[in-house]
Amino acid sequence: MKSFVTIGCLLMVVAWMGVRKPTPMKLPVPAGWPAPQYDFKKNPLTKEGFLLGRKLFYETALSKDSTISCASCHQQFGAFATYEHPLSHGIDNTLTTRNAPALQNLAWQKEFMWDGGINHLDLQPLAPLTAVNEMGETIAEVLHRLQRDTAYVRMFREAFGDTAINTQRMGRALSQFLVMLVSADSKYDRVMQGKDSFLLPERLGYGIFQQKCSSCHRAPLFTDLSYRNTGIPPDNTLNDYGRMRITGDRRDSLKFRVPSLRNVAITHPYGHDGRFFSLLNVFEHYRKNMIVTPLTDSILQHRLPLSNFEIGQLTAFLNTLTDTTFLKNPLFAPPGYVITPVFIHRH
Amino acid sequence: MMSPFRCILYFSGLVLVLGLRPVVHHPLMIRFQNCAGNRPLQLSGELYSNSFGEIFSVQQFKYYVSAIRVSGEHEEEVLLKEAHLVDEGDSSSLVLHLSTDLADIRTISFVVGVDSLANTGGVQGGDLDPMLGMFWTWNTGYVYARLEGESDSAHSPAHRFTWDIGGYKDPSNALRTVTLDVGGRSGLTGGGVRITADILKWFDGKSPVHLASSPVCHEPGALAMRIADNYSTMFSVAP
Repeated sequence: MKSFVTIGCLLMVVAWMGVRKPTPMKLPVPAGWPAPQYDFKKNPLTKEGFLLGRKLFYETALSKDSTISCASCHQQFGAFATYEHPLSHGIDNTLTTRNAPALQNLAWQKEFMWDGGINHLDLQPLAPLTAVNEMGETIAEVLHRLQRDTAYVRMFREAFGDTAINTQRMGRALSQFLVMLVSADSKYDRVMQGKDSFLLPERLGYGIFQQKCSSCHRAPLFTDLSYRNTGIPPDNTLNDYGRMRITGDRRDSLKFRVPSLRNVAITHPYGHDGRFFSLLNVFEHYRKNMIVTPLTDSILQHRLPLSNFEIGQLTAFLNTLTDTTFLKNPLFAPPGYVITPVFIHRH
Repeated sequence: MMSPFRCILYFSGLVLVLGLRPVVHHPLMIRFQNCAGNRPLQLSGELYSNSFGEIFSVQQFKYYVSAIRVSGEHEEEVLLKEAHLVDEGDSSSLVLHLSTDLADIRTISFVVGVDSLANTGGVQGGDLDPMLGMFWTWNTGYVYARLEGESDSAHSPAHRFTWDIGGYKDPSNALRTVTLDVGGRSGLTGGGVRITADILKWFDGKSPVHLASSPVCHEPGALAMRIADNYSTMFSVAP
């Protein structure tokens, strides 16, 4: 009789464990930042959802030939951009037409891609997943693969309550990982909190930055999330006209999203097609090489004059935006993986 | 003190007024019949001709219907809010089993497409699962209707014409509302409405769109708006 009671109790415990609610998690919102844009009501953050999202992010089985994961082009040591690659690589020796942007502070973003074509973070992964020059797979096949993997079946149940694996849950799990990629612990942040102080060139650079750069690269995200034509002429092999393809409006020709400058020192190459290999190339573009047309941004109609002195101080300041806590955070690395980030690599 | 008899009387009166008003759910079956003029549509290489004499075959024909509502003389009822994908290649998708409280239906209306909430609300499930392919991943939005096939008149690669119509943002909002006259209960045969959808209207329902000049439509914009205007006229209630 006693053993029946014990077995009964055990069964109840097992049953209870089976329907255990996932552990809630909170997005760390840095002090003084605006409210996040991501809708957490539809997709509450949980530890189990985050861990599933992280596993999916590092999962090569999402690509047609199981060679490429999200992390292939979004490497943690490069602030989740592609280190030193101008254009992202796809399966079968293909190239994309754009530079993989850094993935950081995505919970504050409402639109994604260089042209803002994707309007929800949950949908974002479907684009690289299905593009023939990226992961080249169908959603149905990816879901089928995950459904056959017992580890995923268990993790989807833990995160969402039952074993259903579908497009919506895959997108939501990936979002739970992606929104946690918050970068807000650079030297700049510590200086603003009064915990550190700038060296002289950094301080001078900060002054120049506020005067010449911050109207577009606005703190705390270091982007105003707008789309602007900065006089980058189209490449005649890529023929990428940016935002115009999304809106169909000629005035949006050659407009691209203002990139965040957080971790800018390690997210080279720069520009939507990665044509600028170093910060110096970018400065040269703004002060000399811009092709100004009537559609170029109104505040850049006379280019952006910068002296050699200013470039030096600006570079010193931009280096203070590197957030090594973010780059080394083991929470964002694949499980069991030791990373040794290359912090600042200059050409 | 009220007598028990009176109590029961009042109570049953209350029940009669509030609860026992007879609400009858009439089953309503909606069947979509896709055709090309007076011929039933086939996805097996059958050849059709549009009013410009362009000969073509069809490989895919799909469209979303949502916000299905019926109206009687005075009342209106929403029967199905969610989007339903009608796919000529999947016979189970051609029939909808709904029910209505209205005894007398004058009109039936629906939206061809998917409302903007679903276009902006992240990954949807069911018939709206992006997995079904009626979705643009690079420029978020649903493909509301698709007509794909081959025609020697189409000078696109492999002579394939591919018309994917969508768009939820102004001025390229391709949502179209269709209202059809059912003509009272007598218009329903065996509790059902048969709605025919004539693909030939895609070419000339309101303005001419030639396969020769516009074999490909893959994004929201002026061409998608014209084709949406055209196909909004393709529906009719079969007698």
